[in-house]
Amino acid sequence: MSDNSEKYKSIFIESLAIDKNSFSENVKYNEIPEWDSIGHMTLMSGLEDGFGISMETDDIVDFSSYKKGLEILKKYKIDI
Amino acid sequence: MNVAKNDIPKIKNFSKALRKSILKMAYIAGASSSHFGGALSIVEIVSTLFSFKMKINNDPNWEDRDRFILSKGHACLAYYAALSEMGYISKKELETFEKNDSNLLGHPVINRKLGIDFSNGSLGMGLSLGIGVAISLKKKNKDNKVYVILGDGECNEGSVWEAAMAASNFKLDNLYAIIDKNNFQQTGSNDEIMSLGSLDKKWESFGWETSSLNGNNEEELYKYFSNNNHSNKPKALIANTIKGKGFSFSENNNDWHHAVLTKNLYDQGLKELE
Amino acid sequence: MIINERNIKMWSTIGSRATFGISALELAKKINNLMILTCDVSTSAGLDRYRKTFPEKYLDLGIAEQNMIGIAAGLSSEGYNVITTTFAPFQTIRCCEQIKVNIGYMKQKICMVGIASGLALGNLGYTHCCIEDIGILRSIPGISIISPADSFETIKSLEAAVKCSNSVYIRLTGSKNNPIVYKEDYEFQIGKAIKLREGKDLTIFSSGAMVYTSLKVAEELEKEKVSCNVVNVHTIKPLDISAIDEAVKKSKFLISVEEHNIIGGLGSAISEHLADISNSPKLLRIGIKDEYSKGGSYDFLKEKHGLSVDKIVKNILSNFKKA
Repeated sequence: MSDNSEKYKSIFIESLAIDKNSFSENVKYNEIPEWDSIGHMTLMSGLEDGFGISMETDDIVDFSSYKKGLEILKKYKIDI
Repeated sequence: MNVAKNDIPKIKNFSKALRKSILKMAYIAGASSSHFGGALSIVEIVSTLFSFKMKINNDPNWEDRDRFILSKGHACLAYYAALSEMGYISKKELETFEKNDSNLLGHPVINRKLGIDFSNGSLGMGLSLGIGVAISLKKKNKDNKVYVILGDGECNEGSVWEAAMAASNFKLDNLYAIIDKNNFQQTGSNDEIMSLGSLDKKWESFGWETSSLNGNNEEELYKYFSNNNHSNKPKALIANTIKGKGFSFSENNNDWHHAVLTKNLYDQGLKELE
Repeated sequence: MIINERNIKMWSTIGSRATFGISALELAKKINNLMILTCDVSTSAGLDRYRKTFPEKYLDLGIAEQNMIGIAAGLSSEGYNVITTTFAPFQTIRCCEQIKVNIGYMKQKICMVGIASGLALGNLGYTHCCIEDIGILRSIPGISIISPADSFETIKSLEAAVKCSNSVYIRLTGSKNNPIVYKEDYEFQIGKAIKLREGKDLTIFSSGAMVYTSLKVAEELEKEKVSCNVVNVHTIKPLDISAIDEAVKKSKFLISVEEHNIIGGLGSAISEHLADISNSPKLLRIGIKDEYSKGGSYDFLKEKHGLSVDKIVKNILSNFKKA
């Protein structure tokens, strides 16, 4: 599980190109400049690629924060 | 207001020279005819700009020059005449007007060597070009101005109002739109074809600092262009003019929108200019 | 832009519009005099981040496309490197005369990017589809026309167009999850078609999103023992006539596949060249047969217009037998 947790975090950092030292698990869509509409699509692509899943549109739209993402990924059997 | 002693006579002489060249070119056009009337109505405006107001010199490509756009491109006789007075176009080249392979056609075709900065002729496009240039000048921190002459009939085009809306949004206080309000378009008067209503109220409502004057009166034009107290709005000048101004046979006669100038009328015109 | 597998996959997922936005952002970091003009479409063109990062290199003219082209020309005349973008029909047809006068006639250099061209927005109706843009712009002298095959080629096209000395129209097709045609870096040159697959019997010429479809078609045809070349004609104007000539020599039958009216687009351009060649093989033009159908999803419309893999395969097989 901690592997998945590290993976999840690193996908966030890499996809959104944010500084790993300023990363916070409270990060939300549109609250940091990097997580704008383009950042969001890049992040979704990174998560799909990284976890080998294909997310439904509704889930992509609802994926509004790091924490919300944890819930959503459970649907795809990714336990973090 | 101090009127520099020679300014207004200089402008008047320039106007006379323009009318002489316009007459010549119209005659040379022969059976191809020319847009005589609409060129004559803007003579005093063009004279005031080229001989007094605009920051220009003998280099048509001087980077620090003010810019001029003849959005009502069919009035090019006045434009070519002015460029000739500036020395950019030779008197000989003026005689090639509307001839095969000429650089001087019935609407301006871009030719920076001759001082023709843009191609115009399809109405409604010049003000947008002017906005692009005005924005560029501001970005480059130049204090140059952009002068665009539009026709009143041209204001039928929706694209004029797109530009009008944008210019005030961008606070382009370096942009002038001078509307040649000669009250006619091709097929008849504006009121017969598509009434413009109150042109000055329209421009004002679009956010332009709007003025009106007699566009064929050099003194009024001089006074307007001498005034340097302005707001941060673009400026619209509704110039009330007479189509075909300057010759008895063409004044207020819409037949002269586009017509043939015969030898007789050419001779008569020359006499009237004396 | 770093070209690696991960990024190529990411660009494919986000689609050509958002890829255009990212590419524009990178260009703005290097090109001082870049200006991007839009008509109230920043997010739709993937330019939100660009707009926030480089506000001084961005102008939104509101819903006024004719004005946009005039302003673009004015800026270009003063030395700026200008890109304009909005939805394809409004980028090309709404301001067509301004394109003719300012870009074609006056030769003010501008790169125009038409987003969501073809049938991608079919559920919004044909006002928001564009099946005419190539045909219309081909008639205006002086404008190169490029239709990138995938998101990666979108980046290549934009970089080339911005450096090019004449005006360019880039036609973006496809949607999100845009299939990948180019899996690794390659050389892109405006005007030079790229052969993606070798074959002995037929040549399929295609551009835009139909290139991937054409590759799939070739795979299916192989199963029917029909061997196809597939050529990505990313630049429809100027047309790479050497690529056409090669196909004329080596193939028994030619096909063009496009998400555009068969009148005026890639197929027409190829026909024009073939008309100068005696005894050229027949050309089957596959595309939209000069009609506005009822609307629907992108896939629905492709199927309806015979642009699905199955329909194209059947069409080619029945016509090839006759040829």
